[in-house]
Amino acid sequence: MLELELQVVRDGFVLEATLSLTDGPTALVGPNGAGKSTLLRAMLGAVPVRRGRIVLHGRALLDTARGICLPSEERGVGWLPQDYALFPHLTVLENVCFGRPGPSGRARAGAVLHQLGVGPLASRRPGTLSGGERQKVALARALVAEPRALLLDEPLAALDADTRETTRGLLADTLRQLAIPSLVVTHQMRDVLALGGAVVLLEAGRVRSVGAVEEFRASPPGEFARTLAASMSS
Amino acid sequence: MSGRAARRVLRLLPTAAALLMVLVLATPLLALLLSTAPGELLDGLRHPLALSALRLSLLTTSVSLALTLVLGTPLAWWMARHPGPAERAASILVQLPIVVPPAVSGLALLLAFGRRGLLGPLLDRAGWALPFTTAAVVLAELFVSAPFYVQSAAAAFRRLDEDLLWVARSLGAGPVRRFFRVALPLSRPGVVTGAALSWARALGEFGATLMFAGNLQGRTQTLPLAIYTALETDLRPAKALSVVMVAVALAVLLVLGRGTVLEAVRARA
Repeated sequence: MLELELQVVRDGFVLEATLSLTDGPTALVGPNGAGKSTLLRAMLGAVPVRRGRIVLHGRALLDTARGICLPSEERGVGWLPQDYALFPHLTVLENVCFGRPGPSGRARAGAVLHQLGVGPLASRRPGTLSGGERQKVALARALVAEPRALLLDEPLAALDADTRETTRGLLADTLRQLAIPSLVVTHQMRDVLALGGAVVLLEAGRVRSVGAVEEFRASPPGEFARTLAASMSS
Repeated sequence: MSGRAARRVLRLLPTAAALLMVLVLATPLLALLLSTAPGELLDGLRHPLALSALRLSLLTTSVSLALTLVLGTPLAWWMARHPGPAERAASILVQLPIVVPPAVSGLALLLAFGRRGLLGPLLDRAGWALPFTTAAVVLAELFVSAPFYVQSAAAAFRRLDEDLLWVARSLGAGPVRRFFRVALPLSRPGVVTGAALSWARALGEFGATLMFAGNLQGRTQTLPLAIYTALETDLRPAKALSVVMVAVALAVLLVLGRGTVLEAVRARA
C-alpha cells in the first residue's frame, strides 16, 4: 500500500496529486505534459516536493510537515526510466546485480534473468541488446534490488509493435506476482487492460480520476480518456 | 597579373600557409633530434645534472599529480553538480593559472607562501619554510597544472547522464558507490586526459618553479631547470634531457590517442 499527497512546483508547472495505490500494478495515463514523469520522479526523490507526504507500507518516505525526506537510496522505490538507463560500462549480469552486490545477488540475478527469458545475455553489454532485451534487463535489475514499490515510465514505449505484444503480458504477470505497489505510465489502452489494475488519469498536473479499468472503459472521464478507451477498436 | 593567375595564387594561399605552419612547428623539434646522436644522448643522460633532475622531476610530478587527483576530483565533481554563481566563480579561478604567465604565478606563490608572504608568519610558526625546498617545487607544479585536470574532469562529469545516477540511487547505492561504480568509470576518458595533460604541464613547469623554488641541484632543479642550467656549461645533457622530454610528451599524446580510439571502438560495439 502506498499513499501519497504532494505538491510539486517546477518551472511554473504545478503538480498536485493525492493517490492511494494498492499492491499490484496501477496504470498512470494522461496527455503529454500532464506531469506523469514528474510524479514518478517526485516519488523517487529526484524532483523536490514543496509540500506533502509519501507513506509506503506504513513507513513515511517523505513528510514535509514532520521534516522527513528519505534520500532516494533509502526509499526502496525502484525506477525504470523511459530509456531504461542501463549502465553502459557494465555487463547485463553486473547491471542486474547492482542493487544487491555479493554472491546472493549474483544467484538471484541469474534466476530473475532466466525467469524473464534473458538468461543467456548475462555476459553481454547493454549496447549490444535489442529494445525488448534492454527492457527485460532493466526490469530484472529493479526486481533484484527487492523494491517495496516500483515506478515504470512508459516501459513499453521504446519497443516495436511485435515486441510490445509479447513483452506486455510478461510485464503484467511479473508486476501482479510481485504484490507491491507499482505505477506504470503508458499511452496505450492495450497496456492498461493487460495490467488489469486501477487506472489513474492525470491531466494538467491534477488527478482527474481513479478507478477500475472496466469502469474507465465503460464511462471514460473526459475527452482524453474517451480517445484512449476507444483506441482499442482500431 | 591576369585575373586567372591572381585567382590561382589565391587558391594556393591557404595551402602555403598551412605548410608554413607545419614547418614552424616541426623544424625546432627536428633540429633537436638531428643534433643529438645516440651516443651523445647516453653521455648526456649519464651527466650528474641529468640524473638528479630526472629523479627530482619524477618525484615532484608524481606527488603533484597525486595531490591534483585527491584535491581536484572533489572540486571538479562539485563544479559539475552545482551550476550557479559560485561554480562560475570557481571555474574562472581554476582557469586563471592556465592563462597567467608562469613568472606571475611564481611571484604570486612567493607573496602567498614566502617568508614575508600572506601565510608566511603562519608557516613560520609551524616551523615550515616553503620557498626553495622540494615542497615548493610540488606546490608550483600543483598551482600551474591542477587546473588542466579540474577543467577536464568537470567537463566529463557534466556530460554524465543524470538518470544513470538516479537509477543507481533507486537501487540503494550511496554516494561513494555511485561515484566509483557509475560516475568515475563513465567519465574515465575525460578524467584520464585531464590527468595526463596536467602531469605533462607539471613536468614542463619552469618559470614559477624558478622564482618560487629556485634552481638548486638535487633539491629544486627539475628537468626544465637542468636543461636551462646545462646550456651555460655543457650542451650535451641539455640536449639529452630535451629529447627525453619530447619522447615523454609524444608518449603521453599516443597514450591519450589510443585511449580515445579504444573508447570509440567500445562505444560502437
